Amino acid sequence: MISAGELSESIRIAVSSLRSNLLRAVLTTGGVVVGVVLVVLMGWTINGLDAIWEKTISIIGKDMIYVDKWDWAGGRNWRKLETRKDITMDQATLLSSSLESAEIAVPLVRQWGASFVRENLSIRGAVMGTVSAYGATPAATTEEGRFFTPIEDAEGSNVVVVGYAIARTFFPSGGALGQTIKINGRPFRVIGVVEKRGFLFMDFIDQQVFIPLEAFRSSLGLTNVSFSVAIKAGNERMLDVVRDEAIGLMRNIRTVQPGADDDFSINEMKAFDAQAANIRTGIWIVGMGLTILAFLVGSIGIMNIMFVSVTERTKEIGIRKAIGAKRATILVQFLVESALLCLVGAIIAFPFSQAIVASARWLAVDVFDFEAATAVSPFIPIDLLIVAIVVSVIVGLLAGLAPAWRASRLNPVEALRFE
Amino acid sequence: MAEARIIIDIAHISKVYTMGEEQVHALRDVSLQIRAGEYVALMGPSGSGKSTLMNMLGCLDTPSSGHYSFDGEDVSTMDDDDLAAIRNRDIGFVFQTFNLLPRASALRNVELPLVYAGVGASERERRAEEALENVGLGERMHHRPNELSGGQRQRVAIARALVTNPSIILADEPTGNLDSRTGQEIMTLFGNLWRSGHTVILVTHEEDIARHARRIVRLRDGLVESDTPNTQTP
Repeated sequence: MISAGELSESIRIAVSSLRSNLLRAVLTTGGVVVGVVLVVLMGWTINGLDAIWEKTISIIGKDMIYVDKWDWAGGRNWRKLETRKDITMDQATLLSSSLESAEIAVPLVRQWGASFVRENLSIRGAVMGTVSAYGATPAATTEEGRFFTPIEDAEGSNVVVVGYAIARTFFPSGGALGQTIKINGRPFRVIGVVEKRGFLFMDFIDQQVFIPLEAFRSSLGLTNVSFSVAIKAGNERMLDVVRDEAIGLMRNIRTVQPGADDDFSINEMKAFDAQAANIRTGIWIVGMGLTILAFLVGSIGIMNIMFVSVTERTKEIGIRKAIGAKRATILVQFLVESALLCLVGAIIAFPFSQAIVASARWLAVDVFDFEAATAVSPFIPIDLLIVAIVVSVIVGLLAGLAPAWRASRLNPVEALRFE
Repeated sequence: MAEARIIIDIAHISKVYTMGEEQVHALRDVSLQIRAGEYVALMGPSGSGKSTLMNMLGCLDTPSSGHYSFDGEDVSTMDDDDLAAIRNRDIGFVFQTFNLLPRASALRNVELPLVYAGVGASERERRAEEALENVGLGERMHHRPNELSGGQRQRVAIARALVTNPSIILADEPTGNLDSRTGQEIMTLFGNLWRSGHTVILVTHEEDIARHARRIVRLRDGLVESDTPNTQTP
């Protein structure tokens, strides 16, 4: 359509035209600057949430499946779940021992709102009764001491592995191991401290303690509790196989009639994915709406200034046409100028966006002590910058189309007469 | 001596503008032939149609009726882009108000037609420098138009007209914005160009200027009033 020489001429003209009207150009790009800042912020926020989500999901482990009476994700009829029979210790133990495809499968029972007392300090949290094998799952990895042993399982020893937050509350200067805390009034010896796992809405994890299942039975009793089975598939690819086997076995164990619904729930971290996706979509829709609005306003400004530029340079267009510029040449010349204008907007927007991103993270991490934000990068990723540049150039081309079209159609005789 | 080839062949062209309700006949049935190597002055008072005819000759505009053949090609029915290509290749314009690009140096102004012709950067520069040297501006090629005198600006415009080696040079009142001494210098330059083989068409309303040409075509009310050889060159 046009030669490389003409294109470089167009770029040269656009740069010189921009430089001669620098202030006007910068002011004109305001809308585009806002648009680019919004695109970058939206992308950064979504990236940040993904990073937080990734970290959250890794706390429990992506390959973990929990067989429960209750459904984590909710959304189902609560009353219907309530009518389910509790999962008994026998059922949970049977499923754990029968499951062949999983790496680890252990029965698990939990009591919320138990009281933990150490000298004159008292806090509440959850008590989990389980067996030694649970110690190999991500949620129970110890940073100090150890998880309980099969012997302690068998004896129902009064030993406890405490969550990070509990250890910090009772033993702020360390030295938790070997100390005694009271759980619902009974003394337990601390043998391990679980790594800090709590993150975002998984904070409760740091507020729980693990004791051997037998100790749970003898100290807290098993009336009115429903067991869970914690299953570690081994890796994510095995999830489908393990899930199918667990469902089949559990239906069999609980004698669910063929064709009837499961009377238990399979809970995975994936259950939260839908919620995370909703948040993501929400941000995306709001961000996109604002971005489109900003670019719309921005492109009207650009279009307006380009029409002004075409009018101011009518004579120049006439001269160029007289000495042989074709329509396409003039069209490209003004499109390049308009795209460059938007590119300037994008470039102005980058330091702003970076400043906003860096201060948002600083506020979250250092001022509001929002720990989850540490998973978020303080820098704008390169791919977002590239997206922003591409988007702004496209906006520039679209906004410049009508003015450039008008310029290319000018009658050379009339354009030359213009003063 | 065999006659030179016909470059401009206009047959019965007319141009009608519609201004509001009124129709203005700028040209009525004009026929004209100009051969390679001629030096022609188009004369006439304002409103005579000479500007319209010049736009037509320069392929800036097309006739309402009639035929215009440029160097054997029928240009009366060409579209905008084909006309642009002809202007670029075959016509060198020199305007009364110079019409240089104010922000570009003399060299860049002269290079511009070659940009549109698709000539590569280094050859462009070489040819533009050569054209500027030919009009005596070798020393000032990096100056911008506002750093040059009127005469120098018109020389830049002439260099720009010559750089594509066009079939005709079309000068519209080229001395209209110059003092008489500078005007004389410019006319001498045109005379030299003509003597070195260029076809030159001058559009003017000044007898003094027209007398430099070897043929004078007078227009009045959109018609050719007279078309005579000029023997009394200054």
